[in-house]
Amino acid sequence: MHVYEVFRQEAEGESMRHVGNVDAPDDELALQYAREVYSRRGEATRLWVVPRAAIVEIVDPDFLRPPLDHGYRMGEAYRVTVMKRRQITGKEASRDA
Amino acid sequence: MTDEQRIEEFKRAVQAGHKVEAGDWMPEEYRARLTKFIEMHANSELMGALPERDWILRAPTLQRKLAVTAKIQDEVGHAQLLYRLVEDLGKPREQIFQDLISGKTKFHNVFHYPTKSWGDVGIIAWLVDAAAIHSQSALQRSSYAPYARTMRRICWEEAFHLKHGEDIVLTCMMGTARQKRLMQEALERWWEPLMMFHGPPAPPETDKDLEWGIKSRPNEQLRQDFLTKYVRRIQEIGLTIPDPKLRYDERTGRWAYTEPDWSKLYTIVTGNGPASQARLGFRRLSYEETAWVRQVVTGGAQLTA
Ligand SMILES: [Fe+2]
Ligand SMILES: [Fe+2]
Repeated sequence: MHVYEVFRQEAEGESMRHVGNVDAPDDELALQYAREVYSRRGEATRLWVVPRAAIVEIVDPDFLRPPLDHGYRMGEAYRVTVMKRRQITGKEASRDA
Repeated sequence: MTDEQRIEEFKRAVQAGHKVEAGDWMPEEYRARLTKFIEMHANSELMGALPERDWILRAPTLQRKLAVTAKIQDEVGHAQLLYRLVEDLGKPREQIFQDLISGKTKFHNVFHYPTKSWGDVGIIAWLVDAAAIHSQSALQRSSYAPYARTMRRICWEEAFHLKHGEDIVLTCMMGTARQKRLMQEALERWWEPLMMFHGPPAPPETDKDLEWGIKSRPNEQLRQDFLTKYVRRIQEIGLTIPDPKLRYDERTGRWAYTEPDWSKLYTIVTGNGPASQARLGFRRLSYEETAWVRQVVTGGAQLTA
């Protein structure tokens, strides 16, 4: 028996979301069990079952969230740009400027 | 860092809202308490399917039969989800089942009673499931994240159980005098087990499961929440709650009620309730009868039963 992690897509075009896991002897039964446990009410448009052993995980905050300033990657950091436009044009910037 | 410091740090973190995942380090005491708590919950879902199972063949209409069957399938599905959590905490499923059928582990008090009439089916689905939803909603804030996530899914499914039960009760209450009596008698049978459902009012500071954040709301608070939401709903449809002491105390903002006999609760959950042995016997039998299925599925590997 192997543990399979189950991912479910709830509507076409949506991302696959992790919903839980099942214990099964092979891929085919893993899909059957996943359907029975995670889509009894037809919640899924697509199911993925992935052997847990295939998942590579990291939770190290030093790696994932190093203490760097990411401001330049974020739209909010460019509020100053709106001010510049206002200075040049002498007008109140429109809402979506 | 010493072990004690590490444990203290863990405890402080979960109390501050830190969520623990299955693969994370956790103190042995936390793992042991989680395992016991979730295992009892899982056993209750599985054993809880049995009282209602008796009524699949006796449901009064096809619609009811389908709904009862779907609810039972959900409860077994809840057991599946929860047993997976227990397995991930390190207890193999074989062991879980052996402990259940040998009476070593427990299941909830309400599943140790027989169901005498269709009235019981309505009252169980409406009020027992309502009481369960109160605890399960609070468990969505558990410090153990896989458990909290499972509770979100379970609560979503439970919504239909409640409605289905309430509909059975209301249909009878709109019917003949005999139908109303059926419901009144069922309520009288189930009121005491319902009042015991959330457990004795242990002082929160001595409840270790609260301390570790495994659960987030004290027993008595859950019972008060249940009464606040349901007493009026029960009374306004013409049912009489069989407790002369039950009343809301405006001054304290709390419900007063006849204190259940807590030693009786202990007697029941240790396997001495009116239907305990019959239910365990049935579970034992079906475990033996399905041994060949497990054998086929696993190709005979790692199976002893
Ligand atoms: Fe359930
Ligand atoms: Fe339920």
